[in-house]
Amino acid sequence: MTVFKTSMRNFFAHKGRMALSAVAVLLSVAFVCGTLVFTDTMNTTFDKLFATTSADVTVTPKAANNNEDPQNGKPESLPASVIDRAKQAEGVKSAEGAVSSMNVTVVDSDNDNMGSTTGAPTIAGNWTKNDLRSMEITSGHAPRGPTEVMVDSDTADKHHLKMGDELRTIAVTGDFKARIVGIATFKVTNPGAAVVYYDTATAQRELLGATGRFTQVNVTADAGVTHTQLKRNVSAELTGSGPALKVQTQKELSDENREGIGEFMNVIKYAMLGFAGIAFLVGIFLIINTFSMLVAQRTREIGLMRALGSSRKQVNRSVLFEALLLGVVGSVLGVAAGVGIAVGLMKLMSSAGMNLSTADLTVKAMTPVVGLVLGIVVTVLAAYLPARRAGKVSPMAALRDAGTPADGRAGWIRGIVGLVLTGAGAAALFTAAGAEKAADGSLMLGAGVVLSLIGFVIVGPLLAGGVVRAISAVLLRAFGPVGRLAERNALRNPRRTGATGAALMIGLALVACLSVVGSSMVASATEELDKSVGTDFIVQGNQRIVPQAQKAIESTPGMEHVTSYKLIEAELTSPDGRTEDSDVTAADPTYASDLRRETIAGELSAAYAKDSMSVGSDYAKKHGVKVGDTMTVAFKGGKTAKLKVAAVTDDDVAIDKGSRYMSIATMEQYVPADRIPPNDIMFATAEDGQEATAYAALKKALDPYPQYQVRDQTDYKQELKDQIGQLLNMVYGLLALAIIVAVLGVVNTLALSVVERTREIGLMRAIGLSRRQLRRMIRLESVVIALFGALLGLGLGMGWGATAQQLLALEGLKVLDIPWPTIIGVFIGSAFVGLFAALVPAFRAGRMNVLNAIATD
Amino acid sequence: MTSAVTITRHGGTGGRTAVAARARQVVKAYGSGETRVVALDHVDVDIARGQFTAIMGPSGSGKSTLMHCLAGLDTVSSGQIHLDETEITGLKDKKLTQLRRDRIGFIFQAFNLLPTLNAIENITLPMDIAGRKPDKAWLAQVVETVGLADRLRHRPNQLSGGQQQRVAVARALAARPEIIFGDEPTGNLDSRAGAEVLGFLRRSVDDLGQTIVMVTHDPVAASYADRVLYLADGRIVDEMLRPTADAVLDRMKDFDARGRTS
Repeated sequence: MTVFKTSMRNFFAHKGRMALSAVAVLLSVAFVCGTLVFTDTMNTTFDKLFATTSADVTVTPKAANNNEDPQNGKPESLPASVIDRAKQAEGVKSAEGAVSSMNVTVVDSDNDNMGSTTGAPTIAGNWTKNDLRSMEITSGHAPRGPTEVMVDSDTADKHHLKMGDELRTIAVTGDFKARIVGIATFKVTNPGAAVVYYDTATAQRELLGATGRFTQVNVTADAGVTHTQLKRNVSAELTGSGPALKVQTQKELSDENREGIGEFMNVIKYAMLGFAGIAFLVGIFLIINTFSMLVAQRTREIGLMRALGSSRKQVNRSVLFEALLLGVVGSVLGVAAGVGIAVGLMKLMSSAGMNLSTADLTVKAMTPVVGLVLGIVVTVLAAYLPARRAGKVSPMAALRDAGTPADGRAGWIRGIVGLVLTGAGAAALFTAAGAEKAADGSLMLGAGVVLSLIGFVIVGPLLAGGVVRAISAVLLRAFGPVGRLAERNALRNPRRTGATGAALMIGLALVACLSVVGSSMVASATEELDKSVGTDFIVQGNQRIVPQAQKAIESTPGMEHVTSYKLIEAELTSPDGRTEDSDVTAADPTYASDLRRETIAGELSAAYAKDSMSVGSDYAKKHGVKVGDTMTVAFKGGKTAKLKVAAVTDDDVAIDKGSRYMSIATMEQYVPADRIPPNDIMFATAEDGQEATAYAALKKALDPYPQYQVRDQTDYKQELKDQIGQLLNMVYGLLALAIIVAVLGVVNTLALSVVERTREIGLMRAIGLSRRQLRRMIRLESVVIALFGALLGLGLGMGWGATAQQLLALEGLKVLDIPWPTIIGVFIGSAFVGLFAALVPAFRAGRMNVLNAIATD
Repeated sequence: MTSAVTITRHGGTGGRTAVAARARQVVKAYGSGETRVVALDHVDVDIARGQFTAIMGPSGSGKSTLMHCLAGLDTVSSGQIHLDETEITGLKDKKLTQLRRDRIGFIFQAFNLLPTLNAIENITLPMDIAGRKPDKAWLAQVVETVGLADRLRHRPNQLSGGQQQRVAVARALAARPEIIFGDEPTGNLDSRAGAEVLGFLRRSVDDLGQTIVMVTHDPVAASYADRVLYLADGRIVDEMLRPTADAVLDRMKDFDARGRTS
């Protein structure tokens, strides 16, 4: 086991040189574990919440779905008779009717929205015994009578609400006001929903617009009766006459509640794990470089071991064993840091308005296992190539003069393989750009991205020569001999420079690609908005537009016209007999001028005539629908209509792609009044010359309804830009991890190079290179490496982005917009990153003792 | 122990005094208390301008330390060192670096050249660093003298050991320093290549008036010098003018014998 002893000794002797590699492993593992702990904690929080808010068995109307808005904006309800029938079931201790609606907005007397800003719902309902399971009244009392309301303590704290304050609840059935008489506190963590309670009669009247109806029945089991048994008994009692009902156990309801959130959490989880994967990929380059340099520095030592009889395998294994140690150290620390990251993320969410408690912190057994296995396997795999190279060191190396290792010449095989892969990648990208169907193209795009990336990584060391020389010619000339020395140092080992640059390349390629796609999205949307939008103002919000707000919009002075726009679920049957579930759009005829659409047949305005409609060109083509054909439209909750196709709209757009238009009047013939949905969005067009006053008046009219935003075209475009900008910033933030690891890679390469070049540095200092010049030389080398990585990355990324845009042009992304300020900013930023990375290595080189460096004994 | 001052032969390097460098009561000690080790023990020495001085002595005698101190590579514990009129003891790193760059040339035993630069770039490196233009005629003469005219574009790893040391000599000469320090410059060479390099050093003193100080333990190398200083236990214990290899060897045997009996 002497091999392992040497490995151990080497590892601890060189722990300084391993430190940055360990940090790279640590960061990647920490990000993976942090993500797992964070999402598991979120899931635990919601599990606990839903478990305490759900009754033993819950009865709801069959049509109700917790994760969907009801069509008409009012929750589905059931009659009070269901309670009495449920009570008769065996094993029922009690049954209680509850009213609950998530389709409300609650505002204070200043018209400020009490709802969460993080996307959590506002829930209004009656106060029931079941609520005592999850909450307790901490001040005042439960609401009694039509003017009393109770609010949850988190919301009260956040908005500084006191007893006696007036709250206005905005529901589709109307507005109503009540004073706060009580504050209730959650016993478990409530991540963010705002909750208000009324007494039962008020909740029924104001939320459902009916008396004697409930949205659900909460059934409690007798002692000793399981939830499943109770469900069976209640179901049996409720079958037969009456409305279609759904009976769920506590677990089933929690699971249904969690479904939507679970999907969302999974998206977050896999997105974050994806970014952790990129960081791992970048870390691999760092580890390869470290071990390559350690092996090179130890060539003589390894030669001696070989001369003394160590086998190739032993040498190979000793290097791998060191990698194993590195992996273990990095991963163990990483797992610990991961928990820290999770706590940090929770704090971050808290500051964004989401309550999370560290008491719910969930570290599953799998989390450390995944972290350790990933960290160790990746590290050992990354060290494999350098280990193999160590095994190939000949015993003669012990006898040769030490000094700097020979230049690693990039071979021609590497060149050919790299070029073939890059070529294949380019071909795939080219095919993707010209693809007819988005699905085929995206596969080619993926293949192109992967192939070109691998190709660039392989061919990188060959490119290093030319690119570094070109950068140096422009940039380093000003620095004279110091610049030349820096250039030579960067060129000295192209494989090392290539790998260091490649690490940075990966992160920056993604940044460039996404920035191109994002800015093309903004440019394309802006162009289409300019071309097609004819209306002045757009009103929308996260609650569909309630009738009282609609009235406020319609009665705003100075408007030439106001347009309502509703989406209705329907079943569409084309003349070829095919049926599909689909939304149809019912709008006022003025919508045809609010959003101008090209038609390939017929006139769009004709589609708003009685019993007429339009279809999109893709649908028309697929089903052979022509103008004059008759479509069968079965409205959900209404009757079935035969409508004449009056127009076919051109689907080569991004806004309202594939929409089928008809007038609200047509729809109203077939859908009963209480099933007609509220407006999803509204448009208003001012009288000529009245735009400014009309805009102000409209904003004022909507003051009492803060859940809706009014935007004119300029604001709308700005909003769109801001949203895409925010999304990009978030992605850049996540990519920062990979970039940080890449920067550590540059630091690592420089630091190890400085150690490796100790004697050279001593020589230069002896013959008169000043400390300042020495530091500048190292900084310039760093800048050149960083710029090399940036140049490759940005070039590659812009290529990917442009291909993606070409492909997405099929989906309406018509304009290619290269965000030059961002690209140039990133390039210049990379130079600063290079300067930053060189700080410590340059400082250490400057402090190096000249005598030690040149001492010959 | 101070040596006689030789008359200045007016050479290529302008200097006002006959002494290129001098050390007075130089002490160099490492550590303190019980573990204190004295490498140089109150050394006085004058290096004559335009002469070739060799410093000899057994391992651990302090010969390399003396050279490092004279060259401004190492600091002294006490005493003064002057290079021409400039006192270098007490100079800050920045000034010392400038001094080494502008007024001193170096030839080390090994690893004299930057592997990334070719021969001519290595030769002009000190001037490049200083931002000075080399004197073309002088450079051509130096290159001619060391016989490297056809190797100037070669990288160090394409040159033999002897050729590499000749490049190092050319580098030391090219900037016309006041004084050149050599630390066993032929230590890594075979006798023929060594003789070649020493021949160049000798000629640069005779023909160009260069001042050279060389540390060596090779009597043959020392025999190229005008004067040999012997160091033992951090003190200058003897000197020899116009040495021959045999005389140097005899003197060293003497010291060895004394060392063993003491």
